[in-house]
Amino acid sequence: MTAELAVAEERELPRDRSLRSWLGTTDHKRIALLITAVALLLLFVAGALALTMRLQLAQPDQEFVTNDGYNQLFTIHGSAMIYLVVTPLALAYGLYLVPLQVGAPNVAAPRTTMLGFWLYLFGSVAIFSGFLTSGGAAKEGWTAYTPLSTSEYSPGMGTDLWVLGTFVTTVGMILVGGTVLWTALLKRARGMTMLRMPVFSWSVVATNLMVIAAFPSLLFALGLIAVGRMTPGLFDSNLYNIGYQHLFWFFAHPVVYVMFFPFVGAVAEVLATFAQRRFFGYTITVLSLLAFAGLSMSVWGHHMFTTGLVSDDYYSLTSILLIVPAGIEYFAFLGTIIGARLRFQLPMLFALAFILQFLVGGITGIMVASPVLDYQMHDSYFVVGHFHYTLVAGSLFGLFAGLYFWFPKATGVMLGRGLGHAHFWLMMVGTNVTFLPMFWLGIAGMPRRVASYLPTDGFSTFNLIASIGAGILGLGMLAFAVNVVRSLTKRKERAAPDNPWRAHTLEWATSSPPPPLNFDDKHPIPPIRSYAPLLDLRREREP
Amino acid sequence: MEFQRVFERVFAFEIAVASVVFALVLLGVVLAIFLSRKRSGDTRRRDSNKPLEIGYAVLLAGVAGVIVYVTASAHQEVQHGTTGYSVAEQRGATKVDVTAFQWCWEFQYPDTGRSVTGTCRDKNSGLPTLVVPTGQPVELRLRSSDVVHALWIPDKAIKMDVYPHHTNTLTVEFDEEGRWLGRCAEFCGPYHPSMHFWVRAVSPQEFQQFQQQGTVA
Repeated sequence: MTAELAVAEERELPRDRSLRSWLGTTDHKRIALLITAVALLLLFVAGALALTMRLQLAQPDQEFVTNDGYNQLFTIHGSAMIYLVVTPLALAYGLYLVPLQVGAPNVAAPRTTMLGFWLYLFGSVAIFSGFLTSGGAAKEGWTAYTPLSTSEYSPGMGTDLWVLGTFVTTVGMILVGGTVLWTALLKRARGMTMLRMPVFSWSVVATNLMVIAAFPSLLFALGLIAVGRMTPGLFDSNLYNIGYQHLFWFFAHPVVYVMFFPFVGAVAEVLATFAQRRFFGYTITVLSLLAFAGLSMSVWGHHMFTTGLVSDDYYSLTSILLIVPAGIEYFAFLGTIIGARLRFQLPMLFALAFILQFLVGGITGIMVASPVLDYQMHDSYFVVGHFHYTLVAGSLFGLFAGLYFWFPKATGVMLGRGLGHAHFWLMMVGTNVTFLPMFWLGIAGMPRRVASYLPTDGFSTFNLIASIGAGILGLGMLAFAVNVVRSLTKRKERAAPDNPWRAHTLEWATSSPPPPLNFDDKHPIPPIRSYAPLLDLRREREP
Repeated sequence: MEFQRVFERVFAFEIAVASVVFALVLLGVVLAIFLSRKRSGDTRRRDSNKPLEIGYAVLLAGVAGVIVYVTASAHQEVQHGTTGYSVAEQRGATKVDVTAFQWCWEFQYPDTGRSVTGTCRDKNSGLPTLVVPTGQPVELRLRSSDVVHALWIPDKAIKMDVYPHHTNTLTVEFDEEGRWLGRCAEFCGPYHPSMHFWVRAVSPQEFQQFQQQGTVA
């Protein structure tokens, strides 16, 4: 059968909605939705673990959970958020949108991508199943430093399952990222040159370059733990301990940007759409994304300033240089919205909050990139505050900007406005009330990863505030969950048009949700003359 | 104490820079919201301004350069000199072999063979005390007997990781008498939260007495 025939046949088939068709799908949109669904579910689970921790820390000297239980909570919370929630969501956004945005009918090598999903699902089950073992789940932190994570100091199945699950998930993410990168580079529609790809697609290209370059390093690091767990004595040479940290952070710094870039891209699309104008400073933004990705591979040692075993000044230099690409992205954001007529719909609210809140994470990041400040802040709550500002106040807000923006495209249903506003405001207040006090806790000398503290430490007030904030944040997430369920049950009333936001990029030219091969006779790919083809089209029609 | 002074100075500098940056971006966002035009479609707006963009990138590189210069030169102050993270074998330095273990600390004074340790139980009971003389360099030689720990004295802005099978050495000096809490900063297992110690700085005379008799008045 020729490819054309196969395509024609598939077009005529009614959409198969059976479970079996989902689990064996080769449609990039369905694979992406599967990853998104699992990751969102795990976001709530990881959030519940965090709320339990905040309950324990709300008052000094509490024994709501044991030390051992607390260590499992923060280990699985961190591991889940990084390996199983935000990274998969970031890559799933790319998987769903890049083929649409570059006018491709599907992702390149969809079966490989689907294998990625199954590996991810299997890895997630493995990591969480640690809770069912007699010794409990892994408890060495998401960083699993050696020799603490060896069988000598952390015996038990929980850590074995963690190593296995993290390894398998990471292989899955490399497959997903790799096939999406392939699509963006080699499967673009006619007329879609590299420099006509939307900013979001570019952010995914930069992301997936980091996935390919950095994620294998984690596989080596996990392999080192696995060997160490079978061969006690491997870590009797400190070379292996410090070597593990290098391998780990060579992955674990770029992964921070993997969890961030697609949401920068999402915010860029949202800002341009709701400012009703072309994204400002496209070329320099693309260049800065690539420079950012490149630099991200050279900064890992800033996690190791206090080891006394790395060239602190070098890593400080490369880390502080990140000001340049980050500053350019902000410049483009502000250039897009200043002087434009803004529409303050839900995606825009999340995007505007992202700009200011991520900035707090960014500038505190530059602070800890300075060795003399890091010597004091490292492993304290200052760092906890910093990376939650980047990942929650930043990435998650970008994620929700994108989610409210693309939900109608992916499901054909608009999300409710009332609950959406409740979600935004509760989450915005909750995030800041939770994470802002953590900077002061760090300055006051509170180390991270402690199950309790004493009344005499002087940490009580800020911890109580943070715990109250976490409750507010939880309520916001609850509003989101109710909103998704209610909107999906009211399919008819809330049916989404093809382009509800008057957005600029190709995915909005097709139906909501798009047909199996993305574009068809009723929804052809429009002419592509810039990175905002639908805006060009509108300008021609409405001069 | 030099570490703390340098920390406070650079912290103040970076907070000032950070505040200006935050204020500018906030201004930008507020401006965008309030200038948001009533009429639709501003099609003639430029969507790129190359000279402005490149000039701005150069400005950013300049800002980055200033921050790098300030922090790198401050870093020299806490690395080298009479005290610092890279300083060892200072003349007249009191040497202390610090051993971190799951989950407490041991402080040995090789000059006199004296040794202090504790149990680091809950609620700061059984904490060992690291006794040091004021006004003299103290060389801390950090080593772990099991997993990675980190020695942190928050009030003095001193932190360094403690490894097994490797010795990290730093030289510190305490200007004033007093007692401060030290903590383990690197997560090291179930009793990490209570792995504390006291640092007590006493006059050189009292320190002599401690070295001879093992107690401080």
